Amino acid sequence: MITEIDVRAVLSRSVCEFHSDLVTRSTGRAVRSGIEAHLLEHPDITVVVLDFSAVRVLDCSCADEIIAQLLLRSRPGAATGRGTYFLVRGLDEVHADQIDEVLRRHGLALAAEERGGAKRLLGWTTDPMRTAFDCVASHGSALPEELAAELSWPLDEARHALEELAGYRLVMRADAHYLPLTAA
Amino acid sequence: MTAVVEVPQSFDDRSFEQFASGCAAIRESGRVLIDAHATEWASPFGLVSLLCAGQALGERLGTRPLLTVPSDKDVTHYWARAGFFVEAEALFEIHGAVPKLRQPPESTVLLEVTPVRVAADVHKVVDRIQDRASAILTSELGLEPRATIGFGMALSEACQNIVEHAGTGGWVAVQAYTWRRRLGRRVVVIAVADAGVGFRHSLEPTQARRFGERWGDGPALEAALIQGVSRFRDPGRGQGFRGIRKFLDHWEGKITIRSGTARIAMIRPWDEDVPLREGLAAFPGAQLQLVIPAAEREAL
Repeated sequence: MITEIDVRAVLSRSVCEFHSDLVTRSTGRAVRSGIEAHLLEHPDITVVVLDFSAVRVLDCSCADEIIAQLLLRSRPGAATGRGTYFLVRGLDEVHADQIDEVLRRHGLALAAEERGGAKRLLGWTTDPMRTAFDCVASHGSALPEELAAELSWPLDEARHALEELAGYRLVMRADAHYLPLTAA
Repeated sequence: MTAVVEVPQSFDDRSFEQFASGCAAIRESGRVLIDAHATEWASPFGLVSLLCAGQALGERLGTRPLLTVPSDKDVTHYWARAGFFVEAEALFEIHGAVPKLRQPPESTVLLEVTPVRVAADVHKVVDRIQDRASAILTSELGLEPRATIGFGMALSEACQNIVEHAGTGGWVAVQAYTWRRRLGRRVVVIAVADAGVGFRHSLEPTQARRFGERWGDGPALEAALIQGVSRFRDPGRGQGFRGIRKFLDHWEGKITIRSGTARIAMIRPWDEDVPLREGLAAFPGAQLQLVIPAAEREAL
């Protein structure tokens, strides 16, 4: 099941209803706790879209506490992890740059949709991963053979790129197919 | 006997060294007079640094230092409208007439001198300044609207440095004015200062060994600003200055940090500053200044 969480609304509930800014580490921790509590109440959720449309300022410390820590803590095998997939939506270009920087520092990656609708990968990614991601996003799914044919890549390279995307939880694997997270 | 420290006639980040030398020369006993009677102008950096001196000297000597206010009434009014005396009253024994404010804050003052002690203060600061900053950054400085978001981020990270590392409270002030001699353009200046433990002390437990004999205030500033290290071992920490630098890189802005006996600057082609100065007069805590200049096409 896929769910969308308005991060600004979580901020209102967790910290102060009048704030529009995601700043400071303590705010980030409070917002992350709010999101994790929601996920605990809904164990059937597998994909979470974090909506930043109503957020004004996002600083690096807060981005680290919310996004990087959510990804780290939800990894399969992590103490609180159950393998939830995350993507972010409604980012301003400046927000996207902040998150990109934060994720790189942790060696993490995340799929994002900017306010203009453009989709991109943030964080630690490679050129083949980005190319493969664009392909999966535009076609709605991809098999390694299809990707290899479309991009004129060796099959091993196409399979490796898709596996890396799946490993970073940027696409989902359904049998032999690789799907965008929004297809869940 | 009363020791006198003169506040420079024009008190900003450049003339600060003269003031810091005066403060460092104070002995451990007796009263101290901070003499601002001849001061004709103070930047946000000057005002928040003055508060740091008041706090540090008071703690060190066990008695509040005296402060004579500027004799020029316009200057005193300006300091009052910048919110300086509200904070200074608790730190200094003030001599001279402090005007009662009937006017609104000075129009160039984006944020009056504001205390920062806890994370909630950072929220208030970012919240209060955002709309006015947006208007000034876009209309007066000719920057794109998205500069406002980065500005809020930089302001927040600079203030959080106090909350996370200083071990005490501090102050922030933001102002827009024209740097006629230094740049010939409008600038927005963010000044953040505290009289806390300083960068060297904060980073010492995790970084000193790495630097060996070189360790000191200068390397501590390099580690924080250039290498993005923090006193925490978590790789997610220490990103604040990276974010600030990225924002300033985009808008040709400048950051300087003075802490202990050193001062580091990320300099620009429009600037004549030096990247690192060491062996300065000791001054407690950390004093940061961010300068965001008007876009060149908008030059006055």
